[in-house]
Amino acid sequence: MKHKIISLFIIAAILIPFAAVQAAETIKIGALYTMTGRGGQYGKDSEVAIKIALDEVNAKGLPGGAKLDVIITDDKNPQYAVSVAKRYITDEKCKFLFGIISTAIGLAVTEVSKEHKVIFVGTDHAGTDLTANKFQKYYFRSANNTFQSMMAGAYYLKDEVKNWKKIAYIGPDYAYGRDQWMELKWGLDKLGVKYEVVGEYWPKLYEPDYTSYITAIMKAAPDVLVNGMWGGDTVAFIKQAKPYGLFGKMKYFHVDAGGNYEALAGLGADMPAGIIMSARHHNNWPETPANKTYVDKFYKAAGRYPSYAAEGAYVGVHMIAEAIRKVGNANDTEALVKALEGMKIQCPEDPQGFTSYIDPKTHQIVQVQAIGTTVKNDKFPPAKYMLGNFKVYPADKLWPSFEYIDYMTKVKGK
Amino acid sequence: MKKIKDYLPWIVYFVFFLGIVVVNPGTHYIHLVARVIIFSLYAVAFNLLYGTTGLVSFGHALFYGVGAYITGMLVKATSPEFFLLYILLGAVGAAFVSFFIGLLTLRLTGIYFTMLTLAFAQLVWGLTFKLYHFTGGDDGIQAIAKPALLSGGVTKYYLFSFVVVTICIYILWRIRRSPFGTVLNSIRQNPQRITFLGLNVYKNQLKAFVISAFFAGIAGGLYAGLDGSIHPDMLHWPTSGNAILMATIGGMGTFFGPVVGAGILTGLEEIVGKYTEYWSFYIGLVVLIVVLLFPNGVLGIKRLGGSKNNEEKETEVACNSGN
Repeated sequence: MKHKIISLFIIAAILIPFAAVQAAETIKIGALYTMTGRGGQYGKDSEVAIKIALDEVNAKGLPGGAKLDVIITDDKNPQYAVSVAKRYITDEKCKFLFGIISTAIGLAVTEVSKEHKVIFVGTDHAGTDLTANKFQKYYFRSANNTFQSMMAGAYYLKDEVKNWKKIAYIGPDYAYGRDQWMELKWGLDKLGVKYEVVGEYWPKLYEPDYTSYITAIMKAAPDVLVNGMWGGDTVAFIKQAKPYGLFGKMKYFHVDAGGNYEALAGLGADMPAGIIMSARHHNNWPETPANKTYVDKFYKAAGRYPSYAAEGAYVGVHMIAEAIRKVGNANDTEALVKALEGMKIQCPEDPQGFTSYIDPKTHQIVQVQAIGTTVKNDKFPPAKYMLGNFKVYPADKLWPSFEYIDYMTKVKGK
Repeated sequence: MKKIKDYLPWIVYFVFFLGIVVVNPGTHYIHLVARVIIFSLYAVAFNLLYGTTGLVSFGHALFYGVGAYITGMLVKATSPEFFLLYILLGAVGAAFVSFFIGLLTLRLTGIYFTMLTLAFAQLVWGLTFKLYHFTGGDDGIQAIAKPALLSGGVTKYYLFSFVVVTICIYILWRIRRSPFGTVLNSIRQNPQRITFLGLNVYKNQLKAFVISAFFAGIAGGLYAGLDGSIHPDMLHWPTSGNAILMATIGGMGTFFGPVVGAGILTGLEEIVGKYTEYWSFYIGLVVLIVVLLFPNGVLGIKRLGGSKNNEEKETEVACNSGN
């Protein structure tokens, strides 16, 4: 009998820790990012930021000792991304869908999220549709949409740029470029700004030569040129426009992606001074400990400074972790949706005294927008210019705008 | 005995595509096989031109995409009740477009024909991309609903796709074995002799072009329902390239080769994409191996010794005897 009891204790001693290890659940997040080609840098930066966020979240701990893990797949195209998203849900048992650079892919994947009732946290695609006319309750976004950038831009043009009337626009000929222009014009009209459009130019995405557009813009002679490009296109356009003296003849205005660190680094000393830009995150603003720590951690992990895509991914992981902590598990999707709605989340880009939050009606993160001008600053090499002279626009003035959502629904449909 | 051998690919086809429902490996794999079966129809339809008639179209995505867009846009504009009818209308639309494109492109041969089909497909892709308020531009169109009967679980839609695709593939199979199919085969082997026999090469090629586009359109319409979303990538040249790859990998000289090719390409994309972002490198490697080692494709391996299949023998006899 005595031997039996001892044996039972030994078996229990072996099995109990094993059972405890078994109980610690790994909560999987299925991410899709563009990892190759022109948008590949955004995917790579997001991957680094995800790892930083995972370390922080898992170190702090989740209910029941659970761990968060992220699987990343190159998204290729909407057709393939939909298939991977379905695999994540049904085969890999992921509790969340995550990421995505392209709005077109985001729109396809949000349908999968809706169909399977799985939360999808969009971290980089900026098409306003997803939190407006294409809204569905399982979708949340951890970065600005283009409307927030362009509405802040409309305020900037109204208040900070003096004596202008003629405006022209150049942007890539697809939804992202078209929407920015529609949103800026809507914002200017809303603010009662009188302007005259003297030109609209639609080069294709990844256009290698902008010469013909530049000469046409010079001929139209707008007071303000608005640019809606991103990434390498911004770099190519600015490099090609500089020898024509374009930046001395008109105000250059590029507020959704122009001031992204990727473009600042790509242009280096070729960046003209004094042009108006912004981005969804700035490495040098706000000068808060949270932003400095985030940028330093990224630099330490990757050996380079982050583009704005990284911050969306970083915040997205923290949003999910916070929701799980509130609910106590990752299995009750409806409770997680409720936990995310209205959630306050401290982001690296939040200035002192402000905390970003998720708008409960549209599931869009609501953040301040800082627009600046390029100034010499070599503290973030290889960039030689960073943004400075920031004007900050309060978050609640930018989103939500149900009037714009109604307008967008009318124009683009549900 | 000959009969059983002739129908063996059909038996394998039914065992595989119905067996998957019995085995039920999970929703994701049913969805994956649904993609395979839809791509199979696209590739088999394409192969009516490529493997049978000897016409290398590099613009077949156009017909696949037109089918998808017509189906998707009709569902969005009305209701999903007439989904099957809309798929048919999509296919008719694709056939209609192909008739005019065929009239122009089939005047040319070889690389000139290939380039012109590519040009037309890119033209329509560009239009789809640019007509922002009509086609949704690069965002495409989402939330394409399925009729209630096919909603709720991918298995229902898979079985629906299986029935539609099987009927279509059977029709294409009959076409290939018909006198018209023999003429198409002969056009590939010796178009001049067909002219000497008093048959019109151009007209027969045009017929094949339209038929092929019709079935590619059905595949596009089916895909619109599977994912509930359509986008301009469906009309872009890589989608045309996929049809060539599927037929080449599987064996363009065999009827069921493109089905095998569709399975291999979709499976590879799935497996390789899961482990590395350099998926295109590995797919390229497989294509390279197949093209260099098995020029007749996977199903053409048995013919390495130079023996010809019955169909080719029959065609040659028909050509030589002037029947």
